[in-house]
Amino acid sequence: MKLSLNWIKDYVKIPENMDLKQLAYDLTMSTVEVEGVHDLGKQFDGIVVGVIKEVLPHPNADKLRVCKVDIGTEDIKDIVCGGSNLEVGMKVVVACPGAMVRWHGEGEPVEIKNTKLRGVASFGMICAAVEVGLADLFPTEDDHGIMDLSAFDCEAGTPVARALGLEDMILEIDNKSMTNRPDLWGHYGIARELAALYDLPLAPIPAYTPGACEEYDVRILDEERCPRYIGAKIEGLGVKPSPFEMQSRIWRVGMRPINALVDVTNYVMLAVGQPTHVFDSTHIVDHIEVRTANEGEKLKLLNDKDLELTTDDLVIADKEGAVALAGVMGGAKDSVLPTTDSVILEVANFDSKTVRRTALRYDNRTEASSRYEKAIDPERCDQALSLAMRLFSELYPEMKVTAFTDKYPNKLVKKEIDVDFDWLDRRLGIRVPEDIVKKKLGTMGFEVTYTDEGMHIVVPTWRSTGDVSIKADIMEEVARMYGYENFQPTPITTSFDSAINQLDMDLVRKVKEYLAFRAGMQEIFTYPWMTDSFVNAILPTTDGVLSLSMPPSPTERYLKSTLLPNICKAIVKNERNFDEFAIFEEAEIFRDTDYTSEYSEIEKLPYQRKHLGCAFAGKSENIQALFREAKGIIEDMPRYTHMEGFNFRKVEKPYWADETVWLNIYLGDEKIGDLALLSKKAALACDIKVLSAILVELDMDSFKPLRSRTNRYVRVPEYPTNEYDISFLVDSSVKWSEIYSAVLPKKSDDNLLREVLFVDEYKGKQIPEGKKSITLRLVIGSGEKTLTGAEIETVANGARKKLSKAFGIDVRTV
Amino acid sequence: MKEKLDLLLREGAAKIEAAKTESELQEIKGALLGKQGAVTELLKELPKLDVSLRPEMGKAVNNVKNLLTEQIEGKREELKLKASEISPDFDCTLPGIKPRIGGLHPITQMCYDLNDAFRSMGFEIFQGPEITSEYYAFDNLNFPPNHPARESMDTYWLEGHDSGEANEKLCLRPHLTGGSVRYMQKHKPPYRFVYPGRVYRNETTDARHERAFFQYEALIVDKDLTYTSGKVMIKSILSKVFGQDVPVRMRAGFFPFVEPGFEIDMGCLVCGGKGCSVCKHVGWIEIMPGGTPHPNVLRAAGVDPDEYTGFYVNIGLDRLVMMRYGVDDVRLFHGTDLRFLEQFK
Repeated sequence: MKLSLNWIKDYVKIPENMDLKQLAYDLTMSTVEVEGVHDLGKQFDGIVVGVIKEVLPHPNADKLRVCKVDIGTEDIKDIVCGGSNLEVGMKVVVACPGAMVRWHGEGEPVEIKNTKLRGVASFGMICAAVEVGLADLFPTEDDHGIMDLSAFDCEAGTPVARALGLEDMILEIDNKSMTNRPDLWGHYGIARELAALYDLPLAPIPAYTPGACEEYDVRILDEERCPRYIGAKIEGLGVKPSPFEMQSRIWRVGMRPINALVDVTNYVMLAVGQPTHVFDSTHIVDHIEVRTANEGEKLKLLNDKDLELTTDDLVIADKEGAVALAGVMGGAKDSVLPTTDSVILEVANFDSKTVRRTALRYDNRTEASSRYEKAIDPERCDQALSLAMRLFSELYPEMKVTAFTDKYPNKLVKKEIDVDFDWLDRRLGIRVPEDIVKKKLGTMGFEVTYTDEGMHIVVPTWRSTGDVSIKADIMEEVARMYGYENFQPTPITTSFDSAINQLDMDLVRKVKEYLAFRAGMQEIFTYPWMTDSFVNAILPTTDGVLSLSMPPSPTERYLKSTLLPNICKAIVKNERNFDEFAIFEEAEIFRDTDYTSEYSEIEKLPYQRKHLGCAFAGKSENIQALFREAKGIIEDMPRYTHMEGFNFRKVEKPYWADETVWLNIYLGDEKIGDLALLSKKAALACDIKVLSAILVELDMDSFKPLRSRTNRYVRVPEYPTNEYDISFLVDSSVKWSEIYSAVLPKKSDDNLLREVLFVDEYKGKQIPEGKKSITLRLVIGSGEKTLTGAEIETVANGARKKLSKAFGIDVRTV
Repeated sequence: MKEKLDLLLREGAAKIEAAKTESELQEIKGALLGKQGAVTELLKELPKLDVSLRPEMGKAVNNVKNLLTEQIEGKREELKLKASEISPDFDCTLPGIKPRIGGLHPITQMCYDLNDAFRSMGFEIFQGPEITSEYYAFDNLNFPPNHPARESMDTYWLEGHDSGEANEKLCLRPHLTGGSVRYMQKHKPPYRFVYPGRVYRNETTDARHERAFFQYEALIVDKDLTYTSGKVMIKSILSKVFGQDVPVRMRAGFFPFVEPGFEIDMGCLVCGGKGCSVCKHVGWIEIMPGGTPHPNVLRAAGVDPDEYTGFYVNIGLDRLVMMRYGVDDVRLFHGTDLRFLEQFK
């Protein structure tokens, strides 16, 4: 919203020497955000009134003239000009060298310089209205028309801004910062805030009393949604331009002047924040009624939009049908026409939600609807009516109110609030002096009565529609007017019951830091919704998957029931730039099942769990390395993050997994996730073109953090241990787990063989088809003595025998 | 001859000492003690001497020969120990081989920085469900029944759960504040906790708007507390996170769930408050809403608003991270582009 400082000064006398930066700051701190202060006059620097003394032909150009112009300096200036309406004695707008104008009203402003035009020196430029940004106030039909100031009482050389009364400051207010303050949507409301801020008197708006006249027939059929309707039939009017100052004010704050009848309604709205409307009274048949629209009822708006209404809309209608969309816009049929000489003035109050929904439904938000939807108080109609009547009588001294009605069936009740000082002082941290409280609240319209313990406050109507209703609201009024910056910072006091101990929170962080900094993986974030093509690749069915009723796009309606589809999408995105990478995401997944809530009995929330998803993407040549890396990272995770360890089983192949390369991850006997190679089919469906990917998904909510570190100290061996490698050929199908359990002695044996480690697996040259070469490492040692070579050999031979027996092979001594 | 010998010893010793490599030393040895070496030449001259002088000079020459030999061998040992087995062509300027280091998302990093800061002030960390009922998203928070935010244009409602009573309607949480009520219902005041999390709004995206973004809510509820304590809290947290003193101002703002409500600005760190394009030339950047929890919110949480009051802030993590690194497009955070994410180590 734009505000004119000059206009505000109609209502509150802001000292001339007031620093406007400070004013904007104070208003921002206490009331609304001032986004900018614009010096309108500055835009016209170097642009002055000139009087044409002579118009001479240009020696070298037919369409140009050389004007002798008095611009208040000692000498008369020669200015070359192509204007079609140049006349001797005409007052024109002269942009002197240094001034900024827009050529033909287009592009960025450019600086005027002394120049020669077709061989004739020209001092500056005689401007058209568009060139100085005043086309709305000086409309011309002729493109070459020069702006004519002859009607203005001003002398040659007067700055144009002064001559036209444009030396004004425009405040730009962020609309979002006053959505809760319907009282601020006009100059008078902001003036009231400034009056309270600076302890200045606020000029009242005198009330209008209708004279004796006929009762105008207004019927409110929906009192709930139209609490008040004032209708006044005014005769003796006519369509003409409004006075320049009224046009100028309307223009300065961003609207366009139309004609006196419409300008009065807009002026009133901009002044007091209450929209008003005029109908051509000759078109209103019989009476006015405010009612719910009929389903499918047709209405053509002022802007020529054809609407088909619903029963949720509220309309103004006459005997024959709808004439306006209440609070939003008038209809085309009954609006002001060039021939209009009598009107029905509407000053009414409508339900905020109805206006908002209707304006949104037809994508037709207006200055009026955006004010109504903030919940204006019905009492404001009085201000709007009196201001409108005053303006009409000023503009049309002959005008007459011939019929009038004010339907206000349910009076707005002012809110009343008791505030005790003890509470107020505790909340504010200080005692704000009573005279300050009383003065500030009083200026803002609150009636304050002091009692022994506190104050009884009657809230003004313009703050009673929802904005101020409880004592905390009063505290806010006192604090912001006293000045938020005038309160001393107070430190926060602490009391310690116990140290913060949140193992589950800590575990999540440890896992993420482990993956990022030990495992070298990059964390990613994805949206909670999945893309259909990836859903189809990863999930066998969408049964049990939740979806959005208005998704971001038609192919993104399903909510994550697993993290893998979005992770695959991230693989597609990154395989263009990287040959290998490892990523992870920690996020919630949702399923359409197990509705419950740990917070409230009446609420039922679907299954939602925190999951961890990982992808290890790399070239397809070495799946085994990729797989072992992924497995190793998951295997070691519990160790570095202090939680109970996992085990791997092969129980149920994930739908998306390769036939062979997959494992289920278990915590004890509970399955908590999978680790597998993305199958070729799924990868193709995902459009992963080059890389292979090992995917992991784990239910993080199942993780069990250890209460503290649980390692037990183990004595460092006193006698050396020995490493002894054995290589042998075995069938390709034999798994390492079988070899391992074949060699490793049972716990009960008091054995010198401490550990069996995998060293290498080899297939290829020199190895027969269907076989592989395995190298394993025996760790041999004794707790009692240093072993001799022979003793070590005996242990190794024992292992060889076990291998030979288990796999029917001959593992010879090397 | 004696002088010659002394000179030979002095010069020889100096040369040996200066030798840098074994081959250099070998050359020196040859020049002194070899077949045509200086000392050998002197020995050859002995027969020319007077017989009476011969034994003494012979001894002297031999002595010099021994001294030099000893010194050469000593030096040889020394050089041997010093020598590198590696070719001098070894290139030490080659770049190091780095361990593969991944990284946390820049928003996670900021979140953890804030967690650390708040934990040091005795705050717990809370996390709540992302799918919530309308009851917890709006009703508990003093949103009027027809508030625009409830409508589908702003909130993601779930298919099949988008009509009915407030406890039956489900949506992706549009903010965290509803979740804070969950925490308060489960615990007894006084409270001191933070609630980091992602929230969802159904809106058109551009460089400054996202459908999914991160909030970081902090709440204190205690018996005697004023909003000025909140200012102290914010200032200390921001100063810790940004590693420098950060000016903070609180100005009037409106949110249904606080009373009074504030818009909280931090001084622009880019221009130091002088005004620049980042802060739209005002020297301040709007960073979070805050205020005292509305009495109706405290009541919904089962806390008596006459006894308790509090202070709440809701930090926009995306905005804070964008400012920390100068990121100019909020959509990058969910873009999964590793070329972007890997920059934040």
